[in-house]
Formats: sequence, C-alpha cells, structure tokens
Amino acid sequence: MNIPAKSTSPVAIGLRDLHKRFGPLEVLKGISLDASEGEVISILGSSGSGKSTLLRCINMLEVPDSGTIAVAGETIRLRTASSGKSRPADQRQVDRIRSELGMVFQSFNLWSHKTVLENVIEAPIHVLKRPRSEAIEEAEALLGKVGIADKRNHYPAHLSGGQQQRAAIARALAMRPKAMLFDEPTSALDPELVGEVLRVMRGLAEEGRTMLVVTHEMGFARDVSSRVIFLHKGAIEEEGAPHEVFTNSKSERFRQFISK
Amino acid sequence: MNSPGFLDIVSFGPDGWGHVLAAGAWMTILIALAGIAIGSVIGTFGAWAKISGGPVPRAIAEAYTTILRGIPDLLVIYLFYFGGSAVVTAVGQFFGAEGFVSFPGFVAGALAVGVTSGAQQTEVFRGAFRAVHPGELEAATACGMGRVLRFRRITAPLTLRHALPGLGNVWQVVLKESALVSVTGVVELLRQAQIGAGSTSLPFDFYFVAAMIYLAISTVSGAFLNASEHWFSRGVRRG
Ligand SMILES: Nc1ncnc2c1ncn2[C@@H]1O[C@H](COP(=O)(O)OP(=O)(O)O)[C@@H](O)[C@H]1O
Ligand SMILES: [Mg+2]
Repeated sequence: MNIPAKSTSPVAIGLRDLHKRFGPLEVLKGISLDASEGEVISILGSSGSGKSTLLRCINMLEVPDSGTIAVAGETIRLRTASSGKSRPADQRQVDRIRSELGMVFQSFNLWSHKTVLENVIEAPIHVLKRPRSEAIEEAEALLGKVGIADKRNHYPAHLSGGQQQRAAIARALAMRPKAMLFDEPTSALDPELVGEVLRVMRGLAEEGRTMLVVTHEMGFARDVSSRVIFLHKGAIEEEGAPHEVFTNSKSERFRQFISK
Repeated sequence: MNSPGFLDIVSFGPDGWGHVLAAGAWMTILIALAGIAIGSVIGTFGAWAKISGGPVPRAIAEAYTTILRGIPDLLVIYLFYFGGSAVVTAVGQFFGAEGFVSFPGFVAGALAVGVTSGAQQTEVFRGAFRAVHPGELEAATACGMGRVLRFRRITAPLTLRHALPGLGNVWQVVLKESALVSVTGVVELLRQAQIGAGSTSLPFDFYFVAAMIYLAISTVSGAFLNASEHWFSRGVRRG
C-alpha cells in the first residue's frame, strides 16, 4: 500500500500521552499517535492490552485521565471534576466531534427497533439535521455500496451478521465522518462472513478514508493498512509500516504475537 | 310510578340509567388515564434515579417505592384528599374564607393513583431498561446524540418494548384502583352503580352492569395494549 507522505497530509486524529486507568488497573500508559488523513492504521495486540479502550477514548466513550485528543486539529477540552475524575469540559463539543467520527462495533449495535434504512438515516436527520429526502437518497446509495440495498426495509434481527455489520458501516458512513474507528469488526462473525465485511473495509481504505482498525485479521493489517501499531499492556510496543514490522520487527513479543 | 327493570338500567331513554352509567364509566377512564400518565412520569424519573442517579436521588426513589408498597392504596387516596383539603383550607383561610374547603376529588384521586402506580412503573421501567442491549445505546452516543435525543429516539422506544407487558398489568391495577377514588365523592362507575342500587330495588342488576362495563373497558384497552406491544416489538425475531 502507498503510505501517505506525513509531511503533507494533515493530521486527522492526534493523541498525546493518553493515560487511562480503571481503578487500580492502568489500561493506557501514555499513548501518542498521529493518524494522517487517508491513513489506515491497524491496531494489534492480545486481549486486554487496551485496544478497545484506546479507540473508545478517541470519541470519549471513555474519558482519558490525562493526555490530549485532537480530531481534525480540534482538541477535546477536558476538565477535572470535583471527584478528581477527568470529564469533558463541553459536552456539545464532544457530541459534535462524535458525529464526525464513525464507529463500528464488534457486536454491530444496530438499533433493533429500526429497519436498516432507518438505522442509516437516523443520525443524519436528527443529529446533523439534514433534510429527510436527502438523507434517504444518500443512505440508499451507501446501502448499495456495501451490497445490501435489497435489505433496506429489513430489521437487523432478520439479517446475517455480515449483513448487519455492513449496515453498521453504512450507518457510520452516512455521517460523512472525518475518520472511522473499527473495534474488531469481524470478530463476532462466522468465518464464512468475515470476507464480505473485510472487502467493504478494503474498499473504504482504497477511497482514501482515514481508518483506525482494531483487528485480529493479519491479512488485513498486512495488505490494507498503511501502518501497524502493536499494543502491549497499554503501551505501544511496536509501530511501523506493515512490510517492515511483519518481516523484521525488533520486538520479540510482536514476532511471537504474529507467529501465533 | 313504575319500578324500573333491568332494561331501564341500560337504556339511554328518559327514564334510563344509561347516560349516567356511561358518564360514570367515562370518569373511571379519565381517572385511570390521568393516574397512569402521572405514574409514567414519576416512573420514568424513578427508574432514572435508580439506574443512573447519584446517591441522593437513588435513596429518594428507593424510599418512595418501599413506602408505597407498604401503604394501602385507599389510605394513599385519603392522604391526598385530606392532605390536599388541609392545604386548600389553609390557603382559603389566608384569603379570608371560613371553614373546611374540600380538595377536588378528581385531582386527589388522580394524584393518588398516579403516585401508587408510579411506584409500580418505576420497577417496570427499571427492569425493562436492564433488558435493553447497552451496545444500542452506546451506538447512539457514539454518533453524537445528546442525552435528550438519545432518550427520545433510542432509549425510550427500546425500553417500552420490554416495559409494555408490565405496563399492561399496571393499567389493569389502575383501572380497579380508580374505583377506590369514589370515597372522595367523585362519581365514577362504581359510585354511580351504588347510587343506582340505592335508589332502586335492583342493586344486583346495577352492580352486574357495572361489572360488565369494567370488563368491556379492560378488554378493549387490553386489545389496544396488545397492539402497542406488537408495534414496539417490531424487529424482534420471533420463534
Ligand atoms: N469499563 C471498564 N471497567 C473496568 N475495567 C475495564 C473496563 N474496560 C476495560 N477494562 C479492562 O481494561 C483492560 C483493557 O481492556 P480493553 O481495552 O477492552 O482491551 P482489548 O480491547 O485490547 O482486549 C482489560 O483488563 C479490561 O478488563
Ligand atoms: Mg477489545
């Protein structure tokens, strides 16, 4: 894959020294990362290494204890509450930045009381205040793009896992996000359904979308991403272009991880 | 004067009791609707307090549901009626009125039924919210929905889906409880039947007709609740 020249592409997501602890457990131990526009970053690491927490800090589903997060150059303002905990200083800023980041979850999380089309148009209409007809038109195009246009009037429960995840990707795309966050998007799928979702994600990568992808799909990390990050116990243990780290990593842990 | 027969009870003619019984039934429905509506507002806040409120709201909600469980519903109605009357009397005296001013029975009754069913609805909503898949709420948060929007578009409909069977039970209870409100002088269905029974020689007939009307109300509203349950369960896989 082509690696965007970092000097020219603006930074889509910038993380500085993120720390997060749950009680006594320090889950993120100072993570810094710049994702340039158009970059696809695969985040690897064994279970419990903090991958989900890192991704969830970016859109404030978890509030980091310290450090800064900037999306498209805008730093999310945090304050320290009277309890000593870190809190967003301006909830409206957080809501707005969330609407600029598309998140795709391991368990799809489609709204079960809404059809596929209703899922896709919900936030464009009610969060972004786009006209309904325009939202529907765009949603139908997106559903076509992810290959489930014929399922637009189905409820999520009547779709296969692969179809649900593609609907969830369409829902995220409908927000015209500045960057997309994927948290193990294929881990809940039956093996035969993984391919259809990865194909859609590969298509998005080729469009030049900025993507942060937590994944265990080594093929995707190696072939699609422009950069690979390996987390170990809440710290970045290895980082680099896939063709470098997969062939000659200095990290013994990473070599062990990919040989499994 | 002819003594009335069963047909006069159900007749809407000049000598019939149909009109007044229908008015009583309408009052029963109004009390029950007002009660369940007040209760659903209380229940929503109660459930919110128990689920995500701080220690103080949670303690208040706990105390509220515990206390209401332990007090007879009839007593709650008396408390609202005489408590309300005491307040109105005091206010009346302040403005120079004399003697006992009674609180409107309908308002006292609706509040009492509302507060009682609010305790039940708190538990219904809380249980229903627990059954909602947290990921669906998180997805709403993640796409930038604020609290109110998320509650209106996602949390409330998903919670209602699980709450409706329980709410159906609460509604049946409220409908029966509305009969207790007759003690405040509100002429609802049971009170109207009592009046009819007392002024004719047909007590059984009046109570029988009243029973049929209660049955009709609960059957029709039951069908309506089933339809809503069906609507809110759309997208749930069956079988
Ligand atoms: N909300 C939470 N409360 C307490 N501990 C948590 C919470 N979320 C995650 N953790 C813990 O933080 C660690 C990292 O979790 P996570 O970021 O989900 O790891 P990964 O996604 O890499 O498997 C795990 O030990 C997990 O148990
Ligand atoms: Mg995870």
